[in-house]
Amino acid sequence: MRRSLILAGLLVFGFPGLALAAEAPAGGSLVGPYSVLVAGFAMAFAAGLCALGQGRAVASAVDAMARQPGAAARIQTAMIIGLALIESLAIYVLVVAMILLFVQPIK
Amino acid sequence: MEIIEHPPIFRLPGIPDHVTYTWVVMLILTAIAFAASRNVRLVPRGLQNVLEVVIEQFLQLIDDVIGHEGRRYLPLIATLGLFILFGNLMGLVPGLSGPTTNLNTTAACALVTFFAYHYIGLRKQGAVTYLKHFMGPVPALAPLMVPIELISHLARPLSLTLRLFGNMTGGHILLAIIFFLMGLDGLIGWALGGSPAGVIVGGIGGLVMVAFTVGFLYPLKILVSFLQAFIFVMLTMLYIAAAVEEGEHHGAQRRAEHH
Repeated sequence: MRRSLILAGLLVFGFPGLALAAEAPAGGSLVGPYSVLVAGFAMAFAAGLCALGQGRAVASAVDAMARQPGAAARIQTAMIIGLALIESLAIYVLVVAMILLFVQPIK
Repeated sequence: MEIIEHPPIFRLPGIPDHVTYTWVVMLILTAIAFAASRNVRLVPRGLQNVLEVVIEQFLQLIDDVIGHEGRRYLPLIATLGLFILFGNLMGLVPGLSGPTTNLNTTAACALVTFFAYHYIGLRKQGAVTYLKHFMGPVPALAPLMVPIELISHLARPLSLTLRLFGNMTGGHILLAIIFFLMGLDGLIGWALGGSPAGVIVGGIGGLVMVAFTVGFLYPLKILVSFLQAFIFVMLTMLYIAAAVEEGEHHGAQRRAEHH
């Protein structure tokens, strides 16, 4: 299992190098193709983990609202603020991914 | 960003798009405010009624978060909220560009918030009392607390900036990529090409895609626009509330009495 995972990882992360090895000019770097790959993977990890965190937060908030419907408005406000703060972490990753894709500070 | 997103139709030469559309948002807001307040009546009608509802919502939020004395900060909070809301919504109009999809606009808003809440805190509590908050509850912990507090305060404008910018720009890129993946250009071109099969397939396909966009993605983006404006305003109010609070103990007590 672990060996096949390592193999798959090597294949995935080594692929742009293999695919572009023929085309890369002398002195050309592989940072460009790798950064595209990294941007996509970073966003995937960030979105998945952010969804886990937000799911926990929303679950607790809905639980609390069901127990105490009178406080629903205040709980909802607190939940939305919390969700915004959790989501901002994924947004940071999105910004980094966009910098990698569009600005390309390192070629 | 021009790779995937079409530049807006109306552009002023030599002036960046986000500045142009910031002026457009300012013009719209000023025009609405002028039209509503030109003829103020005791029993409001039409536009004045709408704006009074909006202001009352803001006031209620301020009462909930800061307390009754927070009403004097209504101009700052409501202006930020309405500007960000209209900026977000303007990005959804085809052919226009939203000012909040640019990092500079959101950074300007966040810096206004940053300086405003520090100024309010300094004015309200005096420099010594306000700066004492940075040292934490126990003087012995000051060497530890001061760097932590400084970093947390400096991270606030950064996170405000990036949250608004990232949400708006991410939504735009999503929209652009879905248009690109759907091949909407191709479908419409096919429909306009003239051949019968092209008209049927391209026309129906294009209509389905447009219906999907208008029916699903646009409501989602409108929701996100309102939510992000709300969150920006809410965090601004929380920062102001933290700045005007007279220390932990009193603040908690006052809040308990208030509710």
